[in-house]
Amino acid sequence: MNQTALSSPLVQEYLATGRCAGCLVVDLHAHYGPFRGIYMPNHTPEQMVATMERCGVEIIVSSGHLALVDMVRGNAEMVAVAARYPGRWYAYLVYDPRDPLRGRAELEGYAAHPCYVGLKLHPTMHQYPLTGEGYRPALEFAAARRLIVLSHTWGHSAYDSPALLAQVAERYPEITFLAGHSGFGQFEECMALARERSNVYLELTAAYAVRGLIEKMVETVGAHKIVFGCDLPWFDPHYAIGCVVMAHISDDARRAILRENALRLLQRVRG
Amino acid sequence: MDEPLSFFDCNVSFGPGASGVLRPCASVEELLAEMDWVGVEQALVHHTLMREHAPQVGNTILAESLAGQPRLVGTWAILPPQTGELPQGAAFFAAMAQANVRALWAFPEEHRYILDRATFGAFLDEVSARKIPLFLPREAGGPRPPDTWHLVYHLLAQYPQLTLVLAAHGPWGEDRYFRPLLERYPRFYLDISRYELDCGLRELVARYGAERLLYGSNFPYHSMGGPRLMVTRAEIDEAARRAIAGDNLRRLLQEVDLS
Repeated sequence: MNQTALSSPLVQEYLATGRCAGCLVVDLHAHYGPFRGIYMPNHTPEQMVATMERCGVEIIVSSGHLALVDMVRGNAEMVAVAARYPGRWYAYLVYDPRDPLRGRAELEGYAAHPCYVGLKLHPTMHQYPLTGEGYRPALEFAAARRLIVLSHTWGHSAYDSPALLAQVAERYPEITFLAGHSGFGQFEECMALARERSNVYLELTAAYAVRGLIEKMVETVGAHKIVFGCDLPWFDPHYAIGCVVMAHISDDARRAILRENALRLLQRVRG
Repeated sequence: MDEPLSFFDCNVSFGPGASGVLRPCASVEELLAEMDWVGVEQALVHHTLMREHAPQVGNTILAESLAGQPRLVGTWAILPPQTGELPQGAAFFAAMAQANVRALWAFPEEHRYILDRATFGAFLDEVSARKIPLFLPREAGGPRPPDTWHLVYHLLAQYPQLTLVLAAHGPWGEDRYFRPLLERYPRFYLDISRYELDCGLRELVARYGAERLLYGSNFPYHSMGGPRLMVTRAEIDEAARRAIAGDNLRRLLQEVDLS
């Protein structure tokens, strides 16, 4: 452990240059485009890639904001964007459980888009429980292909609490589940789940800011089960990276969280 | 070589019993250690007991705790003058000066009062005239952000010269709430501890200048490291960066008149 965060070469490089050449970041929770409740000055593909350059983010995996509302139109838009940045920008297919007919059609088109690495589920936004029947086609599809599934999770939610994620994670052990926001507000329950189930990972978006949480995750779950995300274009990656690199953890843990774990998961999906 | 940035955190607290804190900061020593860990030179501090227990107790403990701590500057919580629980009039400001307290907090939700002219009358006129910064937490109007912003709009309409700092507003995008206030009230300030918006600082500085943005962390609720790296690497010029990192707050505190 470093004497202070500032004595870490990794932290010094981030502070001096805004990026770390030896630890380029892989962000597994990004979006794209404008969204209703927030002014976002930086949501075009060009602007987002400029942010990635500025912050030393090598790879992002996104779901389109539009796809969360209009699955068909939004998924098409998202893959068109990601296809412009091969090897740099991957996509999640957004599946809306309220419309399984069109959802199945979206899944059937999955293979046509090599930029896809998995599915994005947002039970809270779709107001549909993760354990509901409408999600079955998507989860069976993901299990058959051993995909990554990034699900929004939020503490005490009727739609995507850690307890609900636990049920589907047990039912589909072939899927690698990323617990988006680490079950914000029920961190203990989400950490217990990630500790118990090899196919559940803690994803840091928004959670990174909670003082002491990253340290607790590393201590009780292990750095190997934590992946980085910051909801780009919502949040400045430097804010999120700052929380990780100035946490009271080792440089090895910082590298695992910012890069290595996500690379390992992507390689598993992409071969 | 340029002088290193000198960070002055406008929003930290310590003490027992803080609600919603995963890892509390119990003492001044622990606070200073974390400031050293991330490279923050100074902090404007309040004590958890000012908010969670009672201002008349917490204010005193804060002053005692900060005695002999040159890196830490104190704040006190206010209460309505009608109940007489805190020193009144000139005595209050004299006590602030004696305790090296240079700013105030209002916690109307926890302390159950209406933060407006009907309650605070001439007291906040004097706070305005003395240029004492008044900090408001995000939850000042309740858990819903619009309620707090309504409170701020109402308060500033009644006290347009008040130096008001909205602390730790939420990360989910509140520009549409606060930009009208930046345009209308020259002494309205933002603690940027939770202003995570990608390229937000760059856009805000380009449109409104850097003068009313204050580096903060909302520690120990939130990490000091996030805003520390964000401000250090924001796409703004060096003068703006230094202003946000600490010079704006130093200027504000120098303007305070407690004579």
